[in-house]
Amino acid sequence: MRRTGSALGVVFAVFALLATAPAWAASDDLDFYQTVDREEVGTEDTFRLTVVVVDAPSNAQVKVPESDDFAILSSSRSSQRSISLSGGGPAVIQDVTRQVLTMQAKRPGRLKIPPSEITVRGKTYRTQPVELTVRAGRVGGPPASAQSGRGRQPDPFSSLQSQMQQMEEAFGDMMEPDRPTIPRGDSDLFLRASLDRDTVYVGEQVTLSLYIYSRVDLSSVDAVTMPKLEGFWTEEVESPTQLSGEQRVVDGIPYRAYLLRRRAIFPVKSGTLAITPAEADITTGFLFAGHRVHRVSNPLKVKVKPLPPGGPKDLPNAHVGSWRLSMDVSQTQVELGQPVTVKVTLEGVGNVKNVTPPTLKGPAALKIYEPTTSDKVSQQRHRVQGRRVMEYLVMPQRTGSFTLPPLEFTYFDPRARKYEVARTDPVTLTVEAGAGGASSLSAGTSQGSTDAANEQKNVLTAGGLRPVRYQAKFAAPGVPVWQRGFFVPVLLAPLGLLLGVALLGGVRGRMALRTEAGRGRQQAKAARKRLADAEKLQSGSNVGAFYGEVEKALHGFLEARLGMPVVGLTREALAERLTASGADAERRGKVLFVLEACDFGRYGGGGDPAERQKVMDAAAAAMEGWA
Amino acid sequence: MSGYYTPEEAQDIFLKANEAYAREDYAAAKEGYEKLLSNGQGGPDVLYNLGTTHLAQGDLGRAVLALEQARKAGGVAPDLEANLALARARQVDKVVGATAEDAFLPRLAAATDGPVVAWTFLGTWVAAFALVLLWRVLAPGRRTTVGILAVLLFAIAVPSGLLVATHAYVGATVHEAVVLAPTLVARELPQAGARSIFEVHAGLKVRLLEETGRFVRIRLPNGLEGWAERDGVAGI
Repeated sequence: MRRTGSALGVVFAVFALLATAPAWAASDDLDFYQTVDREEVGTEDTFRLTVVVVDAPSNAQVKVPESDDFAILSSSRSSQRSISLSGGGPAVIQDVTRQVLTMQAKRPGRLKIPPSEITVRGKTYRTQPVELTVRAGRVGGPPASAQSGRGRQPDPFSSLQSQMQQMEEAFGDMMEPDRPTIPRGDSDLFLRASLDRDTVYVGEQVTLSLYIYSRVDLSSVDAVTMPKLEGFWTEEVESPTQLSGEQRVVDGIPYRAYLLRRRAIFPVKSGTLAITPAEADITTGFLFAGHRVHRVSNPLKVKVKPLPPGGPKDLPNAHVGSWRLSMDVSQTQVELGQPVTVKVTLEGVGNVKNVTPPTLKGPAALKIYEPTTSDKVSQQRHRVQGRRVMEYLVMPQRTGSFTLPPLEFTYFDPRARKYEVARTDPVTLTVEAGAGGASSLSAGTSQGSTDAANEQKNVLTAGGLRPVRYQAKFAAPGVPVWQRGFFVPVLLAPLGLLLGVALLGGVRGRMALRTEAGRGRQQAKAARKRLADAEKLQSGSNVGAFYGEVEKALHGFLEARLGMPVVGLTREALAERLTASGADAERRGKVLFVLEACDFGRYGGGGDPAERQKVMDAAAAAMEGWA
Repeated sequence: MSGYYTPEEAQDIFLKANEAYAREDYAAAKEGYEKLLSNGQGGPDVLYNLGTTHLAQGDLGRAVLALEQARKAGGVAPDLEANLALARARQVDKVVGATAEDAFLPRLAAATDGPVVAWTFLGTWVAAFALVLLWRVLAPGRRTTVGILAVLLFAIAVPSGLLVATHAYVGATVHEAVVLAPTLVARELPQAGARSIFEVHAGLKVRLLEETGRFVRIRLPNGLEGWAERDGVAGI
């Protein structure tokens, strides 16, 4: 293969390096800032504050922030110098100094870390202050104290171990662990595949990087064939669209290293998994002077350890990493018929797109619909992280107070090498009757409708607009009964009728008096009335008065019927008159009997009540039926 | 019943109005019900449906008016009372303070059913007089039972007659109305420029006391009185 680079370029680069070495000394443009690895910590957690200064003089001293609210547990300092040669221009030298402070908050609250300071040539530079939310206890993360189990007091040794780990993470993207070997025959241009680690647990992320190492000018990369990643779930981390090289020295030889691809791969099975070589077609040189070469990378192997025993059975291999589970409810008080949105969020570092949050379950009184899932994936320091949100629609079926039970998510934390459980708190929903609903339903049954009674109920709430009627009786506008035409006539008619009858009776009476027969009937009527009065004397002690009244009544009746006075007539003369007027023998006998009895009674006889009754009956019989 | 429409035609209009209500075409539903009412073939059912349609449409004033008219025409009914309660719940006005006591006669009339009282009075009145006539015809010994029955009927007829008189008096002197205007200003005097005393809103039931020009004097259930535009209220 033809060498496309030359020793002249190297000489030129060294010359440029020497020429630009003191460039920072004359520059006042200082890059100075500080960052924290988390925005929310617990008082039992430790966190890292990284103070970065770029291109500072070697004698410049960084004054780290001091605050009563924070304790500095440890501090470390590291420097890195990078030299960039690009485009044939002068070399660019950059000094990056990082000071990493392991800190711990002393109290909960919204706390501020004061700015760090650095004085360069008499001028003082300050970083921006950093704000943190500090909660009581532990919030999360891998604090050394939690691993050592010593509670609040940090273990200095474990802290050191943690610090080393943190350092590794902090500079993971800058400290290139890969030590490529220059292949024979392709020493000017070769393809290098590397892994950030070669031993992982099932489900733990490995980052695969594919670089071009070149000592010649590159024009373009025409095709890249990534390795076959059998046994891995892959996620693209970085795929540059333009070649951007950085200077690296391999076995004392400077190279430009160009990143082609970077992928996060998650092994789905244990064992030693092979990663086949990648291939690329690369064009070198400029314009007509360039030519195309084909390069094949080195093969890789990953030793994948199975998850340690002690975990739940059939734990999905995506449940590896560092996770935090939360449950948010749109509202805890809701009217019947109104939906509630429940978001179950699982966020952390790991295979976000393959992880399965726990399923929301609840009492039968809450109808839980199938969730919608959304993912937000990002990378930080080449680590895949993000969150998976499952949004449930919960529709209460009846009133009462119901509890959504806590959710648990078990995962394996490869950093802590143990199983962890992320939990949520239970959420209580209070379902009330809707507007216009029966208040008794909510007030009266709230006790009985709690989770204890989980049977499904068909809730029928009174209220709302009643429907229209589907049958009608059509009628003209109603007029009150008393305003209708018949009312007054009907009201007055009985009065008029009674009055008319009375008047008629009077008239008839007057008319009757004008004829002989009429007078007779009047006399006969008076005689009957007199006999009725005599009946009242029947039981009295005055026997003579009784018989006298009976005799007068009978005389009056006979005078009315015979049309002549009968007082003074002998019994024979009276019998003849009666015969002549048509009275039969029986009636005649009764008349004579009554008259004889009255004569006898008026003069002292007939005191026997039975005798009086007999006379009374005979008198009535004599008058009966004689028109 | 003889009217502008035959019973079949009236039923057809009613059903079509109901169908319009069901598909939420409230304008068509109202038109159907009002057609029946304007031709003398309404009744409590048609008035109820009209009020319900107004209520569904959000016209609180006319809803309460039609429902109150339905109650006046046909008496209380569960669906009618429910929709009236719903309409009252939607009213803007909340009349506070001690409820002014009605006079005895209006309260008595409100507590009794006019048609029932009237028919009771007529029946017992006529029957009592019929028994009196019978009593006169009967012989003295057979009059007792008839006499007792007549007295009992008179004992019913006289108080019911007084109640009928009460209803007639209240009907002639007490006029209730419903506010139709969304906002109706009650003034101190029956003049457009007079000082405003209070405002009432659609659906409130008021009593009309007197009328002069285009103003009527209204009284609220708590006794508050003022002069309001005649067009803003409608008698039940």
